[in-house]
Amino acid sequence: MYNLVMKDIKLGIHPMFFISPVLFGMLMLIPSWIYFLVPMYFFWITVPNLFGNFRSQNDMMFTTMLPVIKKDMVKARISVIVILELLHIGFAILFGLLNQLLYSNLNITYYFFAPTMGFWGLCMAMLAIFNIIFFPMYYKTAYKFGRAVAFATIAAMLFAGVVQWMGIQITSMFDIFNVTAADHRAFHAGILIAGIAIFAAFTLIAYRVALKRFLKVELL
Amino acid sequence: MLALDVRNLSKQYPNFQLRNVSFQLEQGYIMGFIGANGAGKTTTIKSIMNMIHTEGGEVHILGKNMAEHEIELKQEIGCAFGGIEFYTRSRIRTLTDAIKKFYTHWDDAVYRSYLSRFKLDETKKIAELSTGMKVKYSLALALSHGAKLLILDEPTSGLDPVARDDLLDLFQELVAGGEISILFSTHITSDLEKCADFITFIADGQIVKSAEKEEFKESYRLLNGDESQLSEVKDRMISYKVNSFGFTGLIRARDFDPSSSIKAATPSLEEIMIYFAKKEPAYV
Repeated sequence: MYNLVMKDIKLGIHPMFFISPVLFGMLMLIPSWIYFLVPMYFFWITVPNLFGNFRSQNDMMFTTMLPVIKKDMVKARISVIVILELLHIGFAILFGLLNQLLYSNLNITYYFFAPTMGFWGLCMAMLAIFNIIFFPMYYKTAYKFGRAVAFATIAAMLFAGVVQWMGIQITSMFDIFNVTAADHRAFHAGILIAGIAIFAAFTLIAYRVALKRFLKVELL
Repeated sequence: MLALDVRNLSKQYPNFQLRNVSFQLEQGYIMGFIGANGAGKTTTIKSIMNMIHTEGGEVHILGKNMAEHEIELKQEIGCAFGGIEFYTRSRIRTLTDAIKKFYTHWDDAVYRSYLSRFKLDETKKIAELSTGMKVKYSLALALSHGAKLLILDEPTSGLDPVARDDLLDLFQELVAGGEISILFSTHITSDLEKCADFITFIADGQIVKSAEKEEFKESYRLLNGDESQLSEVKDRMISYKVNSFGFTGLIRARDFDPSSSIKAATPSLEEIMIYFAKKEPAYV
């Protein structure tokens, strides 16, 4: 499993995609932006490029000839994507903290979610939704990624859109996230923990379903 | 010991069927796996490698069941598919570094020796290698992890005669030690005339015959006669061609009476393949 992860990192994934979490994370420095867009760059840009590359390089056939089993192939690939997701979120959080440091005295008005702990929890839930749709759909064939990326992206964006809309329309929610966040630390921490739990649970379910489907795939 | 023991592999596709494919390869020998395009060679090889699901049958490699010992056995197998390319924009060094981690018996010294023997430059990208060099690179990888069974799908297709001859010499050298066995599929039958010990012939998803090369050829007769003689043997022939001089056709040696006046010769592998291909598929 470890070797497969390293194979993807060294061979299958262009180093650019390990730099992009930093670059996309920097978008957090735009004051009062729609910060939900920042982690979305991951599935808009990174995912289709990665899976397109895996397909054009015949990665599946290449990997099958190595002394590995299908179970580890799925586990490793999902692990690699999770690593990238965590890098994206991790750097976004770092730049979010920098945002708060830099602009704390500027009295910025937030129209959308401010980069708070609770917001990062919502981002984790969004990625969870992406994973639970993308992996099971992709592993039906293990090469057709277009439809899987499209469906998973739409679902994740719908979730983000609805939550953001609620965050604007519901005054109490708006206040907790954007005005009195400092007074609701426990609430925010709760959302973050829930987001992480959902991410872990959804990704695990996605792995199980994906594996079940991949075991039936014929590698032609 | 048997290096490869394929028993009753069956696989159903909408337009194609692999039917009870069985053959055995003794350790230390080269087996040529021949058949026309679409006869089921690659499907059989992919079934051996556990890449596709079979509806029935078993594969045993070096005495162990492939389905139960897949990881362990893949350590002992070197596999190369002609015409399929992986990570062609990566350098040989990068690819090898990623691959070697998977093999417990990887031997860097052996790898280096094959690189220099095959004149492979580690800094070259896969895309920069000629077809022959790509096959040699696959072999260098397989031999460096101590593969005991090489499964090669059309390794010689696309090679020039010099490169082919060179590769065939190498195959013979490899099996000389008695430890390495090679199964290679091809439709270039002249390659097998040169180096194969055994021949397994597949047509329309079914094994027609698997035997020692000379025995394989001797089990058929190529008949040559005039049209009046054709009626004597017509019913028993596998297939035949009629021309202005008479007819030429293939028959099983057991179906042919040697005392007959029809001229008979031992066919080449190519002739056997051609006449089988002409046969009505339903009777194969």
